[in-house]
Amino acid sequence: MLTIRRVSTVVSINQVSGAADSSSLGASLPLYCYGRRDTTKVVTNVSENALSLDSNSASNNQPVEDASFLDSLLLSQWEDRMEKGLFRYDVTACETKVLPGVCGFIAQLNEGRHLKKRPTEFRVDQVLQPYDAKKFNFTKVDQQEILFAFDESSDHCSEYSEQAFVGESPNVVAINVSPIEYGHVLLVPQVKSQIPQRICPETFLLALHMTVEVNNPYFRLGYNSLGAFATINHLHFQAYYLHVPFPIERAETSRLYQTRKKGGCKISQLVNYPVRTIVYDVGESLEEFADIIANACIRLQNDNIPFNVLIADCGARVFLIPQCYAERQARGEVDQAVLDTQVNPAVWEISGHIVLKRREDFDIATEDYAKKLLAEVTLSEDRFTEVKKMCIDAAEDEKLDNCEVMRSNDDPYRGASVKAKNYKFAAKFQNLYDECAV
Amino acid sequence: MGMGLKIDEEEESMDLLVESMRNTYADTVREALKDYEFSFVISDPRLPDNPIVYASEGFFKMTGYSRDEVVGHNCRFLQGPDTDRRTVLELRDAIREERQAQVRILNYTKDGRPFWNLFHLAPVFSKADGTVIHFVGVQTPISPQLASTDNIPSCLVSSQTLLPQKLSLVVGSHVENDAVSEPLLITPKTVSNCLSESFKQLSANGPSAAEDSKGNSQGTEEVKATDAVKCLVSQLVASSKGKEGVDEKRCKQLSECPAEGVVNSSLMLSLTRIQQSFVLADPNLPDMPIVHASDLFLHLTGYSREEVVGRNCRFLQGPDTDPAAVEQIRESIRQDKPCSVRILNYRKDRRPFWNLLHLSPVRSCGGKVAFYVGVQLQVMAADEEVEEGSGLSAQMKQLSAVGAIRVAVRSLQGGGLRRCAGSSS
Repeated sequence: MLTIRRVSTVVSINQVSGAADSSSLGASLPLYCYGRRDTTKVVTNVSENALSLDSNSASNNQPVEDASFLDSLLLSQWEDRMEKGLFRYDVTACETKVLPGVCGFIAQLNEGRHLKKRPTEFRVDQVLQPYDAKKFNFTKVDQQEILFAFDESSDHCSEYSEQAFVGESPNVVAINVSPIEYGHVLLVPQVKSQIPQRICPETFLLALHMTVEVNNPYFRLGYNSLGAFATINHLHFQAYYLHVPFPIERAETSRLYQTRKKGGCKISQLVNYPVRTIVYDVGESLEEFADIIANACIRLQNDNIPFNVLIADCGARVFLIPQCYAERQARGEVDQAVLDTQVNPAVWEISGHIVLKRREDFDIATEDYAKKLLAEVTLSEDRFTEVKKMCIDAAEDEKLDNCEVMRSNDDPYRGASVKAKNYKFAAKFQNLYDECAV
Repeated sequence: MGMGLKIDEEEESMDLLVESMRNTYADTVREALKDYEFSFVISDPRLPDNPIVYASEGFFKMTGYSRDEVVGHNCRFLQGPDTDRRTVLELRDAIREERQAQVRILNYTKDGRPFWNLFHLAPVFSKADGTVIHFVGVQTPISPQLASTDNIPSCLVSSQTLLPQKLSLVVGSHVENDAVSEPLLITPKTVSNCLSESFKQLSANGPSAAEDSKGNSQGTEEVKATDAVKCLVSQLVASSKGKEGVDEKRCKQLSECPAEGVVNSSLMLSLTRIQQSFVLADPNLPDMPIVHASDLFLHLTGYSREEVVGRNCRFLQGPDTDPAAVEQIRESIRQDKPCSVRILNYRKDRRPFWNLLHLSPVRSCGGKVAFYVGVQLQVMAADEEVEEGSGLSAQMKQLSAVGAIRVAVRSLQGGGLRRCAGSSS
């Protein structure tokens, strides 16, 4: 039996104690609603419809680059929880540095993030797995850890209420009690609908809207599929603030495709970056953007290819990263020196923000180490070419195949087929469980 | 802030824009700058959102905007729907790292016509404390062929440009020459003639037929732009005055700034976004002096910036200030803990006001406390609520300021999270 040693992180206090029933979520929460936009010019003028903190301002004279309301709301709520002591440690006390070199990889020394002796509970060789209500999920988070609910407004105006009735299954934003950086939160769409960790257009659009509303290029959203180091099989995105460009955002691109001449979304690939990545640039329509990307993710899911997604630049750029680290690790192909640092390359690491657990690793970390780590993550040129084709097919195909919005407790596989593309890979992972680190 | 202040505010900000040039350069600089016919702007990163404080006639002609539409605004109005986002990131990061950059960016004129702009950005540094006083930006329109991003990176920032630049210049009759090669005679006329030619050709005939192979033309344009910037910067250096003078090189590294109580310009740019009354005090310096005070703090207390920076905040206390409140503040600082305390403070004219002060330690990327932030909230004696806005409570607003400051300080204080050859973290 092959095993991978992995130490999980605690995302909610209730995860540790195993306490709390699913009724710990109240029906009344602060609620932020973003204004509807039919065609979204993502790059400009969110502030036209967004709230301003200053009740007097007509918003017309405000420079576009003032902090958006949602930006301020998030920061204030997070700071409030920090001062109430809800986090397991002060992440701002964790040393951080940029590794010398042109790429600008960012390394953090964080000894408190990872717990010892805590098994994660699912297999890593399947990207699509059924939701299991018995395992930890976000209905079990402590009420205090939820900052606010997030939804679409009934008209084009954004609005905020401190206490609102949010309905049966709101989209919620909660803190991550083991933060990677200041402001680390989780976006959980339709929290009570028992959606497993997978992408579909509706929930991906919600994630895009969040980055658009915050309107801060240093606030990004990330997603890890199962098999790409998601630790909880309940649909969630992560986000935090870090006032620095990620290496993946700096990397050059080469154009592959554009949906149409004018106002279409553009698809490119990264050039000279250690991990082969697809890059999407938004056109005029956020909905089309979400559809095209989600479509591509669905194809990857159905082909059992683990992947990560980074939503950056206020929702204008999205990075789709297929990866195979877990597979290589199980086959014993990963460099031992890289394994020793016990870094799981999830979306943040791949983007260039690497959290290290041990002082000695942090002190000697170099750009070369970062590139070595990422070299173990990337798909080969051949496999990546197949993925590129999938992404372009997905952009050309308007219909959604094999995916329906999950709203009920029915079989989550309805409509989605799970194919083990690489039989050897699947066979090695039969009955695979993570074990705790000693 | 009431509506009655709005007009004063606008006048005030116009004054700041005018002062930005006047405080730094001799009055003769305006005449001197008129000699440069090419398109350029000068912006001030110490003012909120890094607004343009000076633009050349060439800029107005090229873009179609009027002076009112340009001065006081951030340069981003030139961007448009097809502007490459990664190029925008390059510029944003050059400002964050306080260095030069040269990019090919798609810009738009006032009537929406796109044009390719070889844009060169360069900082000029204060001789006194090494902060960036102004950014100089030169625009050179280029033909679409030259802007092709397929083979050539859109940004020429390489590892070389991260290191301090040695510029060899010939300025008027003065020769400052660090290079071994023969000096290149650059005068405003020769440079602007070259660039005006490019622009005239471009607007009149489209892509120039006179340009030979792609490689040569590109090299020429880049050299022209770099020369133009050099010329402009040397002009500003020559016109700058006294202690407030500028230099093309920084006299202090970013990592040296904190020890002198200096807030670097990119951190300043983040702080000026926060529309609240607050101060930053540095506990690592003797008697924990204020190193930054927001405009609203000055407005609330009636002091000027010079009267406040460098002093400990206790000048806000007065005869009826409760010693217990002061002790509460001291205790929190001793324990590196945040606190909220209602304390009686006094303005410059000695009028007292109740201040719901929120105080918190703020750490830099090394994990150590770099500042204490104090966010002031004027409250009534009886109740603690101020006029409610459309959303966040006043206390929540205070916390949002703290959060924003934490994010900024973590990455921007001292050397911070910047790429820099040889900087210490």
